[in-house]
Amino acid sequence: METKVRVTGLRKRYGANEALRGVDFTLQAGEIFGLLGPNGAGKTTTLECVLGLREPDAGSVEICGLDARRFPREVKRKLGVALQATALQDKITPREALDLFGAFYSEREPTLRLLERFDLVAKADAAFETLSGGQRQRLALALAFVHRPEVVILDEPSTGLDPQARHELHEEIRRMKRDGYTVLLSTHQLDEAAALCDRVAIIDQGRIVAIGTPHELVSTAAGGQTVRFTASQLIDPAALTRLPGLRALRCEGLSGYFETDEAAPVVTALLVLLAAQGATLWELEVKRSSLEDVFLKLTRPENKSANLPV
Amino acid sequence: MNGLREHLGQSLRLHFRNRMALLYGYLFPLIFLVAFWVLYRHEKIPLIRHMGELLTVSVLGGACFGLPTTLVSERERGVWRRYRLTPLPTWAFVVSTALARYVIILSAGALQLGLALSLGMPLPSHPLDLWVAFTVVSFAFIGLGLVLAMMADNVPAVQALGQCIFLPMLIIGGVAVQLASLPTWAQHVSAFFPGRYAVEALQACVSGGGLGSIGFCLLALALIGVAGCSAGAKLFRWDAAQRFAASSGKLWLVPVLGAWLAVGLLAEVRDRIAVSIDGATVAAPVPVMPAPAPLPPWMKITAKDVAALDFRVPSDGGVVSPFAGPEEEASDYTKDEVEAVRQGLLTWRPGLEGDDVQRVRNLVCVAAVPDSIQQPVERYLPPVVLNHLQEVYPKDKLIKILTWIVLHPEDGNVIDSIADLGVQGTAGDPAVVRERSYLYSLKFILRITGRIDR
Repeated sequence: METKVRVTGLRKRYGANEALRGVDFTLQAGEIFGLLGPNGAGKTTTLECVLGLREPDAGSVEICGLDARRFPREVKRKLGVALQATALQDKITPREALDLFGAFYSEREPTLRLLERFDLVAKADAAFETLSGGQRQRLALALAFVHRPEVVILDEPSTGLDPQARHELHEEIRRMKRDGYTVLLSTHQLDEAAALCDRVAIIDQGRIVAIGTPHELVSTAAGGQTVRFTASQLIDPAALTRLPGLRALRCEGLSGYFETDEAAPVVTALLVLLAAQGATLWELEVKRSSLEDVFLKLTRPENKSANLPV
Repeated sequence: MNGLREHLGQSLRLHFRNRMALLYGYLFPLIFLVAFWVLYRHEKIPLIRHMGELLTVSVLGGACFGLPTTLVSERERGVWRRYRLTPLPTWAFVVSTALARYVIILSAGALQLGLALSLGMPLPSHPLDLWVAFTVVSFAFIGLGLVLAMMADNVPAVQALGQCIFLPMLIIGGVAVQLASLPTWAQHVSAFFPGRYAVEALQACVSGGGLGSIGFCLLALALIGVAGCSAGAKLFRWDAAQRFAASSGKLWLVPVLGAWLAVGLLAEVRDRIAVSIDGATVAAPVPVMPAPAPLPPWMKITAKDVAALDFRVPSDGGVVSPFAGPEEEASDYTKDEVEAVRQGLLTWRPGLEGDDVQRVRNLVCVAAVPDSIQQPVERYLPPVVLNHLQEVYPKDKLIKILTWIVLHPEDGNVIDSIADLGVQGTAGDPAVVRERSYLYSLKFILRITGRIDR
């Protein structure tokens, strides 16, 4: 599969603060790749380096096989970008903005087609200052597609959107996937990344701490499933640790908690153990781990020793 | 080119939708002009003598406040950051931004000029030259505006930096206060400011000798413009997060300041500190005590200044400033009046008192007053006055004094009646007498210098 984006050994320092400490990742053609991280983790700096808005101290960025430093203008023709806060002049209209940005490229989509695709026809001649947050975001997306890009970069696109606008945005991103675009998406919304991305990289303190499909990350980093239970009497923890496939066991009084890859055989074994000890099961909760669990586990200072697929 | 053109057009469209920009860019220059006109008692002549200053203030405002305010506010909003993600090169954005501003300033200047003309100001002597000079002046100040935009981190900083340039240029730079009325040190300082050259260049095209007489000014402005635009492009900042203090390339300010310095030093070396008003040159006072009595300013008039005058005058046979030919004889009734004036001039006190310029001005009024009140004798007196002047004054001196009067029509006093010479009637409006004196002075110069042979 063709590699559309290759980021290698990206480093950036602001004074004493090392914002990026060697970031590497690649995007394959047609995939949606999520860059996930807490505030200040380095995802904005990473994107800015990829976009050419910031010069990295070291490392390289290749877009569609072109070195972004050596061929910045050619690279810009390959990229469609919707920044987190795309602000235009108050009085410009969506039609004018699309005409203007379209004129910057040799190949471009017709303005009317973009207005229709992004549901902006009714607001085509309205001043930017009168557009809602969702309409502004749709205009930002339309601007990203004004020149038929190969790679689309979306920087926290759903920030500030209401649920309806967010839903529409997600549909649009799925459509990009269906149309074969390669999408690099920066977000701090875990459900968004889980719902949209083929692969996710979690960045923390300037490093990629995990990378893979959401399923891989959840099963590898967060233990797959978590089980909580409460018994009618105290259970010997030593007996519990002998249950097959059980990890990270914690017991508090009558309650216990553990992680496992596959809950069914462990729960069966737990019921057998309780019965053998004359206890009954009062409560049982089995939950599949989420990307949020992975994220919290990897980005919390006390949880950074997980075995990660970097 | 397509992107540049589209950005230029869009910048203009957005400008014309911005009420505040229209208010500051168009209405204020017009208010300024009307206020000036009212202050000078609605006289037409001062307006043409000060158009250089009025237009310079408009260019300064548009280029050094309007341009950086727009640029910095768009940068603060993130518009330029978004532009940077497009493949259009920096120079194209700089050129389209500068061109858009030039169109805005040019339209404001044209509006100002149009209003001045509608208020009765005579047509500029060199309209095409005025456009060329205006373009060079705009180029110089737009370069300066670009540098200000790159230095200012936010809009309030634009105002602060702009005032640092604007106020000194107005007060001691020869833009709002005439250099002749400034102390010597200020005249020297003004040579380092582009405002002085802007006023001089524009004024020369409105009421002076046109482009031919302002080579140094154009050179100075072009040098300052090239330095400013180059530095503006090199210092270009796309992102509000980039602070000027932390940005690289601050050394590009050196050529900008260097251009101002070079222009000032060149003016010093070439002895161009002498004050020039409407093409007439006045020596700057020399700060040595005790100083010798300064030469009368009209003595600095040169043949070049005379040649640069706008000699478009009404026909001798018309209603305004009529002039009898040598073969025309006065009627019996007017013949006595003409003779009385011819004799009376020999002892007429206003023709004998005061300095040379005032004396000649008074004598020219002898032709101007009857013309302004349309006395039957009006066309026969100008030849009498001219003969008298030629008898009293050496040719060169007379040409210089008359040229000075043409260039300074509102200076000194004018006579509103020559009843003491036997011609009855009083001119009610001194502005009309000044205007007719201006025209007769030109007609006298035309004859004395042989440009016409009547």
